[in-house]
Amino acid sequence: MKIKFHKITFTLFFFSFILNFAQVKISGKVTFKNKGIAEVNVTLKDTYDGATTDAEGNFSFETSEKGAQKLTFSHIKYYEIEKEINIDDKDQTVNVDVKEQINEIDAVVVSAGSIEASDKKRATALLTPIDIYTTAGADGQISSALNYLPGVQKVGETEGLFVRGGTGTESKIFMDGSLINNYFSSSVPGIAGRDRFNTSLFKGNVFSSGGYSALYGQALSGALMLESVDLPDQSSYDFGVSPIFLSGGFQKLGDNKNYSYGATAGYSNLNLMQKIFNFNTDFIDAPQGFNGDMNFRLKTKSGGFIKYYGMFDTNTMGVKTESLEPNYDFALVKLKGKNTYHNLSFKQKFGKYLLNAGTSYSFNQSDLKFSTETNNVEDVESKVSNDGNYINFKAVVDRKINKISALRGGFELNYANEKLNFGEINKNYRDLISSAFMETDLGFSNHLSAKIGVRAENSSYLNKTNIAPRFALAYRLAKDWTTSFAYGLFFQNPESKYINSSAKLDFQQSQHFIFQVQRSTEGRSLRFEAFYKKYDELIKTQNIVPNADQNQQVQTAFNNNGNGFAKGLELFWRDKKTFENIDYWISYSFLDSKRDFLNYPFNLKPNFASEHTISAVAKRFIPKWKTGINLSYTYAKGRPYYDIITQNDINIIRNEGKLKDYNALNLSFNYLPNLGKKDAKAFTIFVLSVSNVLGNKNIYGYNFSQNGNRSSAVVPPVNTFVFVGMFISFGVDKTQDAINNNL
Amino acid sequence: MRKQILSFTLVLFSLLSFAQSTYEKVMKEKIGKIETCKTTEDFQVLANDFQRIADKEKGKWQPNYYAAFSYIQKGRILMRENKVQGLDEVADQAQKYLDDAQNVDKNAETQLLQKMIYSLKMMVNPMERYMTYGTKATEQFNSAEKLDPNNPRIALIKAEDVYFTPEQYGGSKEKGIELFKQALEKFNSYKTKTDLDPNWGKSEAEYFINQAPK
Repeated sequence: MKIKFHKITFTLFFFSFILNFAQVKISGKVTFKNKGIAEVNVTLKDTYDGATTDAEGNFSFETSEKGAQKLTFSHIKYYEIEKEINIDDKDQTVNVDVKEQINEIDAVVVSAGSIEASDKKRATALLTPIDIYTTAGADGQISSALNYLPGVQKVGETEGLFVRGGTGTESKIFMDGSLINNYFSSSVPGIAGRDRFNTSLFKGNVFSSGGYSALYGQALSGALMLESVDLPDQSSYDFGVSPIFLSGGFQKLGDNKNYSYGATAGYSNLNLMQKIFNFNTDFIDAPQGFNGDMNFRLKTKSGGFIKYYGMFDTNTMGVKTESLEPNYDFALVKLKGKNTYHNLSFKQKFGKYLLNAGTSYSFNQSDLKFSTETNNVEDVESKVSNDGNYINFKAVVDRKINKISALRGGFELNYANEKLNFGEINKNYRDLISSAFMETDLGFSNHLSAKIGVRAENSSYLNKTNIAPRFALAYRLAKDWTTSFAYGLFFQNPESKYINSSAKLDFQQSQHFIFQVQRSTEGRSLRFEAFYKKYDELIKTQNIVPNADQNQQVQTAFNNNGNGFAKGLELFWRDKKTFENIDYWISYSFLDSKRDFLNYPFNLKPNFASEHTISAVAKRFIPKWKTGINLSYTYAKGRPYYDIITQNDINIIRNEGKLKDYNALNLSFNYLPNLGKKDAKAFTIFVLSVSNVLGNKNIYGYNFSQNGNRSSAVVPPVNTFVFVGMFISFGVDKTQDAINNNL
Repeated sequence: MRKQILSFTLVLFSLLSFAQSTYEKVMKEKIGKIETCKTTEDFQVLANDFQRIADKEKGKWQPNYYAAFSYIQKGRILMRENKVQGLDEVADQAQKYLDDAQNVDKNAETQLLQKMIYSLKMMVNPMERYMTYGTKATEQFNSAEKLDPNNPRIALIKAEDVYFTPEQYGGSKEKGIELFKQALEKFNSYKTKTDLDPNWGKSEAEYFINQAPK
């Protein structure tokens, strides 16, 4: 009996075993909007059984499981679906319709007006630090490299980004969200200041030529947002040598890779080059400067990130020009500049909230001494000294709503205290601009998203408040095609240099309308943008007694009755794919602008706006020679120039005309002898760059004598310039940093 | 009664061993497929297969390891076809499964995969990412090599890196072939701990050696 029982158990077991192994086929189709979806993982939950859908979305597998089961469908781009099924001994079909998941990679983002340049996942990334260093003619400077993008005007005599018919001061530059007050070094009239900030400090940037976010203000035309680098990958020592500068620095990374600190110092002097090359500008004191900076970056235990960057620099130069006045032989100007900038920022996540706070302090001093020379005797005429103290604070809290939607808000304080000393005149200008802003990113689907924001500002000097709405919409037309539209109202205080009286002034304002169509595919991007910008409440000025012997005009603002417009079309094409090892881009800007502002007697085409600008950049790296060859070319149609004077309180044009067209072809080479040598302790880069190879004699404008009868051209300090330099980095293969300060 | 207990134990044991062998059987079957996969689609199917097993067999590192490996192979095909746009996504998927595997067991094999993931990430934009992912890849590789110097897969990946690096950057096909030969020797002597441990790569080494001019 016992044996029998055993036999029965065994048979039963065996039977059930067989039963269990009776396979049932489960098949079906996975669709999204009636189209089959491939590569969906179909799984009979908690079993090994399942399948992956084919190109048509079909799947089929066999299982021996029985009873109530769950079938899951998962794919990275779609929401996971779980279906309850009951398996008996019959084959069955299960069809499902999946729902698209909203995600950052596929979601369309508002890009009207802005060009992003960082190592993000987007294929359209433009102008990373390497791009800047390898752009011929950009001198390794961020602002110069932006000249090769659409919407930026080539204005050689003044520093600043001249965006879409705006002046250089209508664009502001931010570091980790905080305003940089004196991004460009002090200079003398007619020679543009240079970028004070080293390109390799920033891992990426977003350059907006209009319609930008409510997080930024006090810029009528454009905003450049620079993102500073995080912890370095390795400790290193770096040196740079060239006939015009020497620099050295180090970065030390903590053992646990949670902190780093470093410092650099540099000295530059143009004296030697001046002896070799034929300069247009007669430097009585060759431009020379000393600069140093230090930084630390710290990751806190609670996941916060603190960054500090501080720098100081001093620079001097002296320029001698033939005097336009009959009584003198020469006009002289000497500059002494001093600057320090400190930025401290903090970033931390608190659950769903992200806090970004930053503060910066800067001090800038520029002393200009104007004099004349007659029969080799120098006569001190006047001194202009400017001292500025600036404190900024900004805090932004960001809350994610879903993967592509967020709400953020915060406030910003910008305090300025400037002292101007000009002969008898002592001016003290103080202003506190307090701003609050709110913005939301709304992602409706991967095809449609919007950005709505508002910003309010109060200026203590003007004693006025403004409210600026911003709005943008983006829509994906097809897989590679997106379109966006942006609108915004922007306010900016009158520049303090025009505030020389007690006239009641108000904010200046501009309105932007931007329409963009963009196509981006692997290695290529095409961008078309049309814009209309309307200016209102621009300040109107009159010239006050110009300094007799200098072409320095002092203007004073008396009301906000100015206005103007700028409209245009822009085209941008970048291609890294068609030609092997060649990366090139072409941009074209058409600009039509007229303004009645400053001392313009009526509506005029501004003297900083060129109707047509074409630029092309091409880079080729030849692995065999370990050498990169870079070319760039810019053409800008001649800008107008004016000689405006104030007579009996009325502004009149005494002389006017058109400059000749601007042309420049630049060339540069980078040679990296140690590239790929794994055992090399030092990494070296040699740079040779020639700007304006063809030696075109470009003219930036004209200066006029007091009576208007004589004039002289404002020209670049040198027509063609050759730079050679060597950069060495110990400790780490630091390719990107080295082609630095490439003057 | 004793007999009953015995038979019961027997049944239980057979059940247990049966369960065990299903895991092993399925794993072996899927591992066998690695060699036959040619396209990105093939590797996606394989990755999904291993993911299914990994979901059920928490506490074992191999299923997650192979899921990650399948994604890496998918990524390497994309890389060879110059389709770097989708590479980040594939590498992130691989990373997800590798993290799960490493939570169970962190060994030379998983470290090697980590190196391969970093290399894929670097290839998305070598100029920009050389400093970050390139350095990380080297670090991981060194650490894996230190942990298991005789591992043939580590030798294989080293050989591949040298083989595909242009001469002026310190690589060469000849040096690569030499390293492939060394890797092959290691393949012939290396014993994996269990049948399910990583054992791929030998045919790849042979393939490259056969490519070499005789």
